[in-house]
Amino acid sequence: MRPLQAAAVAAGTLAAAALLVALAGASPLAAARALLDGALASPAALGETFARSTALVLTALGAVVAFRSGVLNIGLEGQLLAGAAAAAAVGPAVGNLPFIGRLAVLLAAALAGAAWVLPAAWLAERRKVPAVLSTILLNLVAAAGVTWLVRGPLRDPAGDYPQSRPLADALVLPPLVPGTRATAAVVVAFALAALAAVVLGRTALGLKLRAAGLSPRAARAAGLDDVGLRTGAFLASGALAGLAGGLEVLAITARLYDPFSAGIGFTGIAAALLGGMAPAGSAVAALLFAALGAGSSALQRDAGVPSALASVVPALAVLGLLLARGRREAP
Amino acid sequence: MNGREGGFALELSGISKAFGPVRALDGAHLALRPGEIHALLGENGAGKSTLVSIAAGLVPPDAGTIRLAGKPMAFRGPRQARRAGIALVPQHDLLVEAATVADNLAFLDPAAPFLESRRARRERVARVASALDLDVGPPDARVGELPVGTRQRLEVAGALLTDPSVLILDEPTAVLSPDETAALFRALRARASTGKTVLLITHRLAEVFAAADRLTLLARGRTLREAAVGETSAEEIGALLLGSAEATERTGAPEREAPPADAPPAGGVAVDGGGGGTGPSPALALRALRPRGSAAPPVDLAVAPGELVVLLSIDGNGADDLAGAAAGVREAEGSIEIGGRKVRPGDPLAYRRAGGAFIPSDRRAEGLLPDLTLAENLLLRRPPGGLLVDRAAMAATAADRLARFGVRATGPDARAGELSGGNQQKLLLARELEPLPRVLTAIHPTRGLDLAASADVRARLLDAAASGAGVLVVTADPEEAQAFGRPIRVVYRGRLSEPLPSGTPFEALGRRMAGLAA
Amino acid sequence: MSGFLEVALLLSAPLLLAAAGELVLERSGSLQIGLEGTMLAGAFTAFAAARAGTGPYAALAASAAVGAGAGLLFALFAVARRADPILVGTVWNLLALGATGFAYRLLAGETGSVLQVRTLPADLLGLPWPVLASFLVPPVLHLLLTRTRPGLRIVAAGEHPEAVRAQGLSVVAIRTGASTLAGVLGALGGGLLVLTISPTFVEGVTAGRGFLALAIVVFARWKPLRLVPASLLLGGVTALQYRLQALGFQAVPYAFFLALPGLLALAALAVSGRGGGAPKALGTPAP
Repeated sequence: MRPLQAAAVAAGTLAAAALLVALAGASPLAAARALLDGALASPAALGETFARSTALVLTALGAVVAFRSGVLNIGLEGQLLAGAAAAAAVGPAVGNLPFIGRLAVLLAAALAGAAWVLPAAWLAERRKVPAVLSTILLNLVAAAGVTWLVRGPLRDPAGDYPQSRPLADALVLPPLVPGTRATAAVVVAFALAALAAVVLGRTALGLKLRAAGLSPRAARAAGLDDVGLRTGAFLASGALAGLAGGLEVLAITARLYDPFSAGIGFTGIAAALLGGMAPAGSAVAALLFAALGAGSSALQRDAGVPSALASVVPALAVLGLLLARGRREAP
Repeated sequence: MNGREGGFALELSGISKAFGPVRALDGAHLALRPGEIHALLGENGAGKSTLVSIAAGLVPPDAGTIRLAGKPMAFRGPRQARRAGIALVPQHDLLVEAATVADNLAFLDPAAPFLESRRARRERVARVASALDLDVGPPDARVGELPVGTRQRLEVAGALLTDPSVLILDEPTAVLSPDETAALFRALRARASTGKTVLLITHRLAEVFAAADRLTLLARGRTLREAAVGETSAEEIGALLLGSAEATERTGAPEREAPPADAPPAGGVAVDGGGGGTGPSPALALRALRPRGSAAPPVDLAVAPGELVVLLSIDGNGADDLAGAAAGVREAEGSIEIGGRKVRPGDPLAYRRAGGAFIPSDRRAEGLLPDLTLAENLLLRRPPGGLLVDRAAMAATAADRLARFGVRATGPDARAGELSGGNQQKLLLARELEPLPRVLTAIHPTRGLDLAASADVRARLLDAAASGAGVLVVTADPEEAQAFGRPIRVVYRGRLSEPLPSGTPFEALGRRMAGLAA
Repeated sequence: MSGFLEVALLLSAPLLLAAAGELVLERSGSLQIGLEGTMLAGAFTAFAAARAGTGPYAALAASAAVGAGAGLLFALFAVARRADPILVGTVWNLLALGATGFAYRLLAGETGSVLQVRTLPADLLGLPWPVLASFLVPPVLHLLLTRTRPGLRIVAAGEHPEAVRAQGLSVVAIRTGASTLAGVLGALGGGLLVLTISPTFVEGVTAGRGFLALAIVVFARWKPLRLVPASLLLGGVTALQYRLQALGFQAVPYAFFLALPGLLALAALAVSGRGGGAPKALGTPAP
């Protein structure tokens, strides 16, 4: 992608956003002001942006790891739900030992996310079923599973709504800066982004994963275990999404409810796309999306622009990118 | 131009076509008479497929004229050519495997009505099968479950639905058994006897002299010879073909290069014939190996350490598949041993673990990763460094190897896709020959390379053998086979000849490749 | 409250329409995993048109028109420009969810009150005729794919696009046509939802039905006639579950019915193997 194209996409997206704001009867400049205020202007706003970015960064990383290795994992949403459910199931059971408890919760979440990939990985390698189809189906099953868990086995008898029992207060991550919602979860997400960048770009494993993703046939003929590499990347991608769900429970919600996620897994894929399928770029894109999300409530309150703008604008940006980048080679 | 000896059914004259920098056709001429079976001959890359694609409206020519029954034509697409009376049966069948015979035939029929009952489609199959006397399989059978011969006949039947005045078949016999070939030629002869024209692309001279009336020989995009079959001989055409092969693959080669100075080790030749009973176990031993889905007989072949064996064959005779099976990239039945160790067929990883190296014929799709850098391509399996790749060491190692293998590039960080074909091949050799493998399988290692690059690749392969590796090379070029100075085994229809000395005359090699001599 | 069968049919019809369109698109070799977004766009269009004062049939027609546009837009990106259809579909879902939510807010203002629309009249066997007509779509598509010339070309484009090109036909044109049809049917499914079952619009009113429809296509193994029992089964169990809930039963967990389509489709894929009958060129760019 050339810089000129990138600039054109950015300009087009901004113009479309301004048009939508005008359509809502607000001044684009005032709206931009409100948006920035809501996303960045105060410690609380900044904290909100970072807090929202956690799950997006991790699912975007999941998308990067999978797509770069040649696995079309569209099931990050389901894997995130699996992770959140595991966290909500394990959390109340480990009592209030902060370190061990949190470790157990996150481990369970990552494992659950990876486990949610297993049927798709098996179907892909043994039955030649495209991962796209199986992971979409697993999303449905995961959403139904959450519905069942919060009404059945995990239901909090004390509450009026169908939701799980909360984690002990001692377990829930405290804010890094008092008065904000940003916790250590943010640090974990960005640290993992750095780790993913190093693994993909600087290690032998990363080289092999990229090779398998670029051409399974050539990688295999060159003596790489393409099946193992693909499966490993698929599982790692599920674990990252599961961890996103686990951290969401551990840092923000403290419990599972239904519906738990409004498409974080899909937005993560969009962020990965905008970030050029590179870990660093994807983390930045995820942060940008999160800032839009955080700012959009202020936008609705102060400028009367519907907050749904926050999901329209990223989608338009990515569509512009897809249009500019254009064609894949026919096989 | 026309009118000579009566009108032509189809005449292409002065046809030129370039794809980017590659000149596929350069003023080619092809004239077909009504009622004849005409053979179009030429080496790989001579321009045969391009020429018939132009005739069938698939590709527009850059220059030249197409006359159908004397009338100039300019086809905008294959449908127009088909309506005008030219039908092409492509080399690789274009059938829908998941659909039935009846549905495929309907798909191939431009006159099929908008809405059609199953019965009408079945009736079309019955009608065609009886009219052409071709067994195209049961109407309700899925094409994917049919044998290749039946599929091929179905494709021919589809082309004949419009009763074209010119039927073009691109290597129709490559997948057929001798019986099926004979049946196909009977059907084509019956068609020609009604005044229709058949154009046949083939590599098999025996077929040309058994079935065709006239022939046209292409070389480097030009028409080299047009003759009635009776006016010429298999020997003459074979020699012309071989001469043109040389010219096609080595543009502007001024003189024949000398065979390499180092003579073959005596042991190599002996083991080749005997299969390696004594001494060290063979570097590579194939026993009753048969690529899956191949109609060829199972093959036994042994390559001793230090030996280089050349498999010489025209494309489509199974040598590529056999070598691919040996390297584990094609599924196969039978057994493979490397250095005495059993290796599971169809498993390239096991082949590598046992010490195998591989140079595929399609270096861009199966050999290199064009989007990775040269250094990454070279050190894909084991990049230097510990937890992190040591980039400096990687660049240094790569630069050293690139220099030693003569790869011309801007540096180890250039992308492999940016290199020329010759440099890509050298890069592949640099990856596969270090560390020295126990066995190297190389398929068409010099195809598309210029003279100097070809000679370099051959020297590297001979060096590897001299250092103790067993090397199996597949080539379609007899001069190349001779240039190795090692025993040659000709492959025809999947069968291996006995080892022939490298000094075997061209003509004798050509006759064997074309199936004219046992 | 109408009878069990009526409810079952009402619930099945939107799924059936959306799945039928998607099936044709997938048989042509492309796929739109943003079907949920297309349904949502159709639902919102029907809602907006009905609020603007058109009759329910005109509202349904408006859905179809917007669906055609959505199908063409998808084809522009994923077929003509050859961007990865998976990515285009993912983003399309996000865009449709955001855009319909945005537009609904503009329409509804800040009142937050639920805006109702007039539904289709029940004029045939106690149901609106478009609901019953939906069940004719799969047989028609079956005829299209098996007996007609365009149908043969669609199938060939999904199995062996090179063969289509060799016939001098455009794979891009075939897939664009299929995508337009898929857009129309998907949006009609969404419109029908608003004009029958839930006569209002809320963000995400389609509630995952687009994904269910994707599952139905897989479960039906890409055969149009099998869509009918598959969507009736889903509509039926959902209706049954409403009925049981109304009677105070909780014998089978509600969520089981939600998981059923996904589980059935996964089982179908696991049992049948070799891609479960998926078109061979599914998701590959046009040559």
